[in-house]
Amino acid sequence: MRTGFFDIENWREIGTTLARNKTRTFLTAFGIFWGTAILAIMLGGADGFRGIMNRNFAGLATNLGVMYSSNRTMSYMGFNKGSGWDITIDDVEGIRRVAPAIESISPVTSRQVTAAVGMRSKSITATGAGSEYAAMVSPVVYDGRMLNENDVQNTRKVAVMGRNVANELFPEGDAVGKYVSFNGVYFQIAGIVGQLSEASISSTLDDSVLIPITAMRQVFNVGNKVDFVVYTAPAGHSPKENEASIRRYMSVRHSIHPDDDGAVGFQNIAELFDMIEKLFMGLTLLAGFVGAGSLMAGIIGVGNIMWIVVKERTHEFGIRRAIGARASDITRQVLSESVLLTLVSGTCGVCFAALVLAGLDYGTADPNLGMAGFEMGFGTAVGIVLVFFVLGSLAGTLPALRAMRIKPIEAIREK
Amino acid sequence: MIKLQALNKTYPGVVPLHVLKDINLEIRKGELVSIMGASGSGKSTLLNILGILDNYDSGEYWLDGVLIKDLGENRSADLRNRMIGFVFQSFNLISYKNALENVALPLFYQGVSRRKRNALAMEQLERMGLADRAHHLPGELSGGQKQRVAIARALVTNPSIILADEPTGALDSHTSKEVTEVFRRLNDDGMTIVIVTHDPGVGAATNRIIRIVDGEIANGNA
Repeated sequence: MRTGFFDIENWREIGTTLARNKTRTFLTAFGIFWGTAILAIMLGGADGFRGIMNRNFAGLATNLGVMYSSNRTMSYMGFNKGSGWDITIDDVEGIRRVAPAIESISPVTSRQVTAAVGMRSKSITATGAGSEYAAMVSPVVYDGRMLNENDVQNTRKVAVMGRNVANELFPEGDAVGKYVSFNGVYFQIAGIVGQLSEASISSTLDDSVLIPITAMRQVFNVGNKVDFVVYTAPAGHSPKENEASIRRYMSVRHSIHPDDDGAVGFQNIAELFDMIEKLFMGLTLLAGFVGAGSLMAGIIGVGNIMWIVVKERTHEFGIRRAIGARASDITRQVLSESVLLTLVSGTCGVCFAALVLAGLDYGTADPNLGMAGFEMGFGTAVGIVLVFFVLGSLAGTLPALRAMRIKPIEAIREK
Repeated sequence: MIKLQALNKTYPGVVPLHVLKDINLEIRKGELVSIMGASGSGKSTLLNILGILDNYDSGEYWLDGVLIKDLGENRSADLRNRMIGFVFQSFNLISYKNALENVALPLFYQGVSRRKRNALAMEQLERMGLADRAHHLPGELSGGQKQRVAIARALVTNPSIILADEPTGALDSHTSKEVTEVFRRLNDDGMTIVIVTHDPGVGAATNRIIRIVDGEIANGNA
């Protein structure tokens, strides 16, 4: 290389030619700028939305399964098609025994009750659950404690109150240890809780009251009946693995036809998570595709402009060749221009995208849940710029090759 | 300095055009020669070959002891850069570079440092009496000044010969005389100069006129 790459003249040449046609340079640069910005924002934005979604499920066990009862869809053992049945409290321990992949299990029964403290009263949902329920919903305990085994075993009349309910019934605060009446029966408040996630199994912890299932049965006269059963699978297992054995067990205990899939209903939160995960993978792909499209448009713009530039400067390149420039000198000059153009505007685009993403992250930040993660990794940013570097060179290559073919004889041909 | 032996050039085509026919020519060091001929006589082709801008088909071309034949692109570019100074009819200065930068450009392609090439370029501009115009763009110079900048550019690499293609073709008669005078002065300093021209006045000012008629040299010596 005879002419130094770092020779200031090289850069002055590039600078002058780019500056000579400011509008065109600006428009081309803007195409690149926009391409990189959109690509980076799309990728970072997809991550951010995934973050928001994950945040909504924060704290909720992701390998959660639910079993509920539904009307029989097949006549069996004297029960007509269409007749109903109820899950009973004894089923819970039975399921724990027969199902292969159970980590925690709890019956859940809810009732609408009137909670009253002094003159204040409010209609709320009271949820009766077992002690293992706590592990499945991962509540945020603001004060006091969650339900424990002792509460359930001894049918203690204690309540874990949702934060919003407590704020309303005890505006002065300090609710723990005080008493609240549900439909006239007094319960002592053991703790104040809330939940991180936007999703919940029945009503949100913040807006309901949790009491031991045993106390629920005794006080509200619900008998053996259980609304539904929730369970989690241990790590590495899916809640789905339990469904066949639970179904078989239920069909024996409740006179349900063994093939009656409709009577025993299951919901698998893990499947829901899978679906959401796939959805976001699709979103990321789509974002990448659209971003890459706008990027390509920008790159093609650069190639186009460089093509015109070379055409316009044919005479000048001829002069340069006549006075001793090698073909490679000319090629390098054209390439440097397109690379510089893409590199500078690409970097600006990525920086702009970083600002936009930071703004989005700040705007969607939640005091409890933190940032959603509208961001791109430094590696991603560098990767995008590198890809631009390569594509910019490619875009400049065709015009540069054309420039290389310019014969010095062009210079003395009359214009 | 220049020696052509039985040089032939044909432009291929449906009807091949034999533009140079068995040219034998010798130009000695320190000569001031003009090549004259009608349009289409082949004089421009001859100049292109002398300037290593074009190839020829057969024969030999020796420039300052170097056989110029079947050279690669890069080698031709280097030889043009070091051995030949071009002066063109339409000046062929780069419009967005000032006079000094234009003169320094051949040195840029030699890899000479910026400071040194600007010093050398300034020296040549001074020689042409244009030191005060060094930072003017070509658009701000008169035709005569432009051509003198172009001559300075041709001289800056200290070439073996100066090849001028109709150097006065775009100038008025007064300026033509000036430029011709510049060539004479350079020749007095020992520079070998070949001028292709239509202008009998320019031809008369040279030491020898080579006339080309239909691709052949009509008279070896004048």
